[in-house]
Amino acid sequence: MFGSHRIKLDPKLLERAQRCAERGGYATVEEFITHAVERACVALEESGNDDELKRRLKGLGYLS
Amino acid sequence: MGVFALGVVLAWPSEAGAYIGPGAGFALLSSFFGVLATIVLGLLSLVRWPFRVARLAWRRRRSGRRRMGADRVRRLIIVGFDGQDPRLTDAALKAGKLPHFAALAKRGCYHRLRTTCPPVSPVAWSSFATGTNPGRHGIFDFLTRDPRTYLPLISSTRIQAATRVLRLGPYRIPLGKPDIQLLRRSKPFWSLLGDAGVWSTVLRVPITFPPDRFNGAQLSAMAAPDLLGTQGTFLLYTTRPSGERFKEGGIRIPLTFTGDRAETRITGPNNPLRAGEPPLEIVMRIARAPAGAKAVTIELPELRLTLTLPLGELSEWIPIAFRAAPLVKVRGLCRMQLTECGEHVSIYVTPLSLDPERPAMPISHPSYYASYLAARIGPFSTLGLAEDTWALNEGVIDDATFLRQAWDIDTERQRMFFAALDRLREGTLTCVFDATDRVQHMFWRQLDGSKKGDDPISEQYRRNDAFLGEVVSRLREGDLLMVLSDHGFNAFRRGVNLNRWLLDHGYLALKADRDGRAEWLEDIDWSRTRAYALGLSGLFLNIAGREAHGIVQPGEETARLKAELIKGLTGLPDGETQRAIHAMFDARVIYDGPYVDQAPDLIVGYERGYRVSWDCASGVVAGPVIEDNVKAWSGDHCIDPSLVPGVFFCSRPIANADPALIDIAPTALALFGLDAPRHMQGRPLFER
Repeated sequence: MFGSHRIKLDPKLLERAQRCAERGGYATVEEFITHAVERACVALEESGNDDELKRRLKGLGYLS
Repeated sequence: MGVFALGVVLAWPSEAGAYIGPGAGFALLSSFFGVLATIVLGLLSLVRWPFRVARLAWRRRRSGRRRMGADRVRRLIIVGFDGQDPRLTDAALKAGKLPHFAALAKRGCYHRLRTTCPPVSPVAWSSFATGTNPGRHGIFDFLTRDPRTYLPLISSTRIQAATRVLRLGPYRIPLGKPDIQLLRRSKPFWSLLGDAGVWSTVLRVPITFPPDRFNGAQLSAMAAPDLLGTQGTFLLYTTRPSGERFKEGGIRIPLTFTGDRAETRITGPNNPLRAGEPPLEIVMRIARAPAGAKAVTIELPELRLTLTLPLGELSEWIPIAFRAAPLVKVRGLCRMQLTECGEHVSIYVTPLSLDPERPAMPISHPSYYASYLAARIGPFSTLGLAEDTWALNEGVIDDATFLRQAWDIDTERQRMFFAALDRLREGTLTCVFDATDRVQHMFWRQLDGSKKGDDPISEQYRRNDAFLGEVVSRLREGDLLMVLSDHGFNAFRRGVNLNRWLLDHGYLALKADRDGRAEWLEDIDWSRTRAYALGLSGLFLNIAGREAHGIVQPGEETARLKAELIKGLTGLPDGETQRAIHAMFDARVIYDGPYVDQAPDLIVGYERGYRVSWDCASGVVAGPVIEDNVKAWSGDHCIDPSLVPGVFFCSRPIANADPALIDIAPTALALFGLDAPRHMQGRPLFER
């Protein structure tokens, strides 16, 4: 309820995105756009805290 | 009305709940805003009710659902027994030990159920939910890696701290919630049904943390952390001197008695509401029972709680609360056991589970659903992997205690299942029971020696059968029941360290001054490494432009390296007569979809009796290529998927003699008159 925002997209681009989402095996065009934005962000962001990442795995039964 | 509500809020300020993310900080709901928001939301809900009813009716009309026909049901009930194996099921059926399964097979059908590659729960249940292969839902293992750092990540959840903080003296008030995201992509069938106005209740299906938001109710499961933000960290308070750390899953806390009394602390998560984020703690006082009785008294003064722990008895759930700031508490649950009480005293404490009544993280949808369930059935474990396998592996608890814990959790699950079933008038109910998986992991070692079926695994199958009998007795006309497992099981006798094999064959190199013993691939020299293994089944190539220090060029060089590794590892010998690897799979061949580039490049299909070694799974290179598994964790399923299909029972015969896990989602849609969307790859199991 408080967590989503509307972003304006050119209608023609949205049409293209819808076609690509279907062709690419995405469930929805929102999923396609989210994936595209996330990939772009990952390329620009720094990764997380190393120790914190490892700590979160602690206790996972399949690992030693 | 608003003035009245405000008056109520101001007159009765109550204690606030805190919302935490592991290492991510609290999003504070102050008592004032919390109560005010509740009242306002309640009023809004009343005002919105007629609109919601109209919207639901509109959705149903618009959804294109076909009218009731012979293939339609009123209630679809799916019971998942994680890991129930068809070979053990067949043997027990033949011996007449599973009368209710036999009756269900006779009334409807029983088949093997094709699983996913790899056959591990996060992958398999994600395909179950979405009707897609992993390339379309993006979950390929328990773990994935960050190609920028080569570090492991939980594959299904991303957690980031709230970034904006308000500083008030010693306090730091995060302005917003931590960002906790479910990374399973595509769309589960319960969301699609919800869009068409069909209600679903989804209980403890793996890879639902944080929960989906849809027209229905859901309780999270696998990957939901404990209060410390880990996948489960037990505590051992002990007077036994030991410099050793537990290899995994637990913390040893030294205990010193003065006379018959000792004082220590239970440590919770760090407190991000305070500068420096000190750990939250509560005092725990321990007193030996008088006259040499084998018991201790535990006092938690801040909680005004005192209890007696007799030797060897696992306590009921104990509520724990850490005070993070005035009027802000972080709540959890734990169980305790006095494991020895002689010359030395040791007390085992289970991982601190989030309290479902006031969860510190989002573990249900709607958010109050966990509290509702707690009110209906009492406290229950909310940890993703709730059974404490590491405490048994480390010898901190014994077999009987582990089984008590596993079966208590199983009973909790049964009670929440029936609470949901009794209230479901139309729609779907899906519930996954984990005990079969956990008991087989920990007690396969007893299966070979069992002559009379008196081993815990046989007992677990009989428990499943008795539960099934109870479920069948509550079915109504128009109900359809499916009972299924995500994969089967096998012995885990020998572990394979792929990283060591890669080192020996020149595909992986160590840094000059390292011996390969460090975890999480820390000793690897990436400038000379072409391939590495991480997780339970995956082998990654160190591809230039993808990995931070990649050296393998995409295209021809990558294809050549893949072919080399497939040839080298398929049929990997173990001694003269045994083979450790049944088949190797190229991700680009077996998967399709938008997330294939996140998959390991190769998936290893181990033979029966083998699995990735403990060391390799955590990124250690040193040690032998193949070694014995000596842990209590003696059964596994992370092998070639063709060797570990699941089971599928249904109260109605199906048209497909070779069903697969990805067929369940489109079948669920079809049973409510919906066509499967184009991205779904499974096929409905019933003829139209």
